[in-house]
Amino acid sequence: MWETLAQAVINGLLIGGIYALVSIGVTLIFGVVKIVNFAQGEFVMIGMYISFFLATQFGIDPLVSLVVSMPVLFVAGVLIQHFLIRRVLGPNDMPQIFLTFALSLLLLNLSLMLFSANYRTVHTSYSDEAWHIGGLYIPVAKLIAFAVAMALSGLLWVFLHTTDLGRAMRAASQNRDVAMLMGINPNRVFAVAFGTALALAGAAGSLLMPFYSAYPFVGQVFVLMAFVAVVMGTLGNVMGALIASLMMGIAESLGIQFVGADSGLIVVFALLLLTLAFRPSGLGARRGR
Amino acid sequence: MTGDRKPSAINNAVPTNASRKKLNRRKFLVRTGGVLAAGAFGVVPLRGWAADPINIGALYPTTGSMAQIGTGCVAAAKLAVDMVNEAGGIKSLGGAKLNLIVSDVQSDTTVTRTETDRLITGNKLSAIHGCYASALTLIASEVCERARVPIITGSSSDQLNKGRSYTFTPFARASQFAKAQLQMAKLVSDQAKIAVIFENTAFGTSTSNGLKELAPGEGVEIVMFEPYSAGFTDASPLINKVKASGANTLFSLSYLNDLILIVRTVKQVGLDIAINGGSGGFVMPDFYKNVGKAAEGLQGVAHWNHDVNDDAQKVNAEFKKRTGEFAFEYAGGLVAQTFMLADALERAASADPKKVREALSTLDVSSGYAAMAPGGKVKFGPDGKNVYGRPVGVQWQNADLASIFPKEDARAPLLKT
Repeated sequence: MWETLAQAVINGLLIGGIYALVSIGVTLIFGVVKIVNFAQGEFVMIGMYISFFLATQFGIDPLVSLVVSMPVLFVAGVLIQHFLIRRVLGPNDMPQIFLTFALSLLLLNLSLMLFSANYRTVHTSYSDEAWHIGGLYIPVAKLIAFAVAMALSGLLWVFLHTTDLGRAMRAASQNRDVAMLMGINPNRVFAVAFGTALALAGAAGSLLMPFYSAYPFVGQVFVLMAFVAVVMGTLGNVMGALIASLMMGIAESLGIQFVGADSGLIVVFALLLLTLAFRPSGLGARRGR
Repeated sequence: MTGDRKPSAINNAVPTNASRKKLNRRKFLVRTGGVLAAGAFGVVPLRGWAADPINIGALYPTTGSMAQIGTGCVAAAKLAVDMVNEAGGIKSLGGAKLNLIVSDVQSDTTVTRTETDRLITGNKLSAIHGCYASALTLIASEVCERARVPIITGSSSDQLNKGRSYTFTPFARASQFAKAQLQMAKLVSDQAKIAVIFENTAFGTSTSNGLKELAPGEGVEIVMFEPYSAGFTDASPLINKVKASGANTLFSLSYLNDLILIVRTVKQVGLDIAINGGSGGFVMPDFYKNVGKAAEGLQGVAHWNHDVNDDAQKVNAEFKKRTGEFAFEYAGGLVAQTFMLADALERAASADPKKVREALSTLDVSSGYAAMAPGGKVKFGPDGKNVYGRPVGVQWQNADLASIFPKEDARAPLLKT
């Protein structure tokens, strides 16, 4: 019994790390640029395809290709912010929603056209390896993904709290108008925020590749969880999204284990509703707000 | 009064007459161009005084989500037609050649309906084959029934044999697959304890219920029966549950991506359990490419396999030469189907679809390419079902599918995992 429970928690925690990378990206964009990026999942998909092709064409390990997928998606993010998002930022939300939603549809269908609907898998030496400790097992590929995801989240936290640009981003996220009065260039801050968020999505893609198949719809599987985590962890709160993601991973795993294999998501959403009932602004909300 | 009005209506139409003339001229140009082009290409067969070719319609999803499989089917259909034609065509019709007319049903039920209609009304067809996926074939066979054109198919849905007289299914039915899977569980252990996990929509639910009903009769115990939602991010919790159930055989009724994750996770956990992945995506070359060595020893069921006899081996070798992959169940079965059509055409001595249907209903073969199926014999019952049809149990061995069940069809020993 305890063994099964411990294993379920481990499984949930490990996949929660991947949810975290996606949800931190969504929450970062929402916090700073104040838009919801519906295309975040598609950038995870692009990250996966980048790693897949680097692995099959050049034999580069998916974890190593992180150094390619992250910068590529960072640049893509800056360009998208500069040429597309910047133009629809205004008092009306609708154009922004349509823009990112259209972007999602476009990328999805482009990849269907270019890569077809087939599943693509990369096999690495550690893909199917696992460490067995007592009666428990820890899959190596997922453990690496979890560790790198946590390290990247930590780096982001350091960046946001110790660098000028990071502080400027937090300032813009707290109060855009005051930040601008203090001499912060919003366009620059927005571009970096969008780029960083997409780089995290790319990282998630590369980290997934050793143990998950790439296909055009893959982003949608992860983005649903990401949106739940973002709401649960308070919109715009990076730490909240991280903690909520890990909690959701565990909740899903426990749900499958003890409620039913088709009830993982039911437990996740029940958890979301409970959170919202008792803390309407989410887990990361400051008291007194 | 009304008589007076009519001419005026025509008068009113005068200005459009000029544009109609223009349109006519354009049409004229198109037609003459068409005739010229037809002349350019048509010269060759005319010179040979060959008999009129016999049109066979082929409905496959060559675009959309099933594109890869559909393309493979078309490759097999072309191979089969080439084989029939190289052997002299249909002799009772003066050596008439088969002419394959391929139509893309785009992995979509609505498109399947219109494409089947279009194919039948636009061409003088003797027969049709298609469409790989049962959901598509059900619709195509409905249209064929109305148009009175025989359709022969490898699709496995039992629904195809209900209330249709123009549909012919030479291979095992879905209900037979379930029974074979249960019997295969007994190969692994005398006391088979089966965990059934299935995705919770129509496909998984209906197949799993079939297994549940048949299990007591086959003397196997189902110790876990668990629906899951397709498209999960992580199979570990589910496999954790399977482990706790103490099963020694796992039946996974899953779509390809989930199945890949499930198999990889079972290997990771180090769970000692025989896996039966069923048919469909599991018995495709792509499955092995995605799963790799972890697929070795996995069992499944198919309606055709390339080691079933020498003829099948020959077809497989030629298919491999053309496409680079081994002939998957549907591709190989399709070659057999084309030879069944050729046999019917030969006996009908007519390209008329109704007469071809008559000849198909009295088909009885036990040798040659037409009989290359598990069981080795084809004869259709009144419901269009092959009375000898049975599935073959297969196992992934050395990146290839080997037939292991039943005894009479086994071509390789069971690989114990």
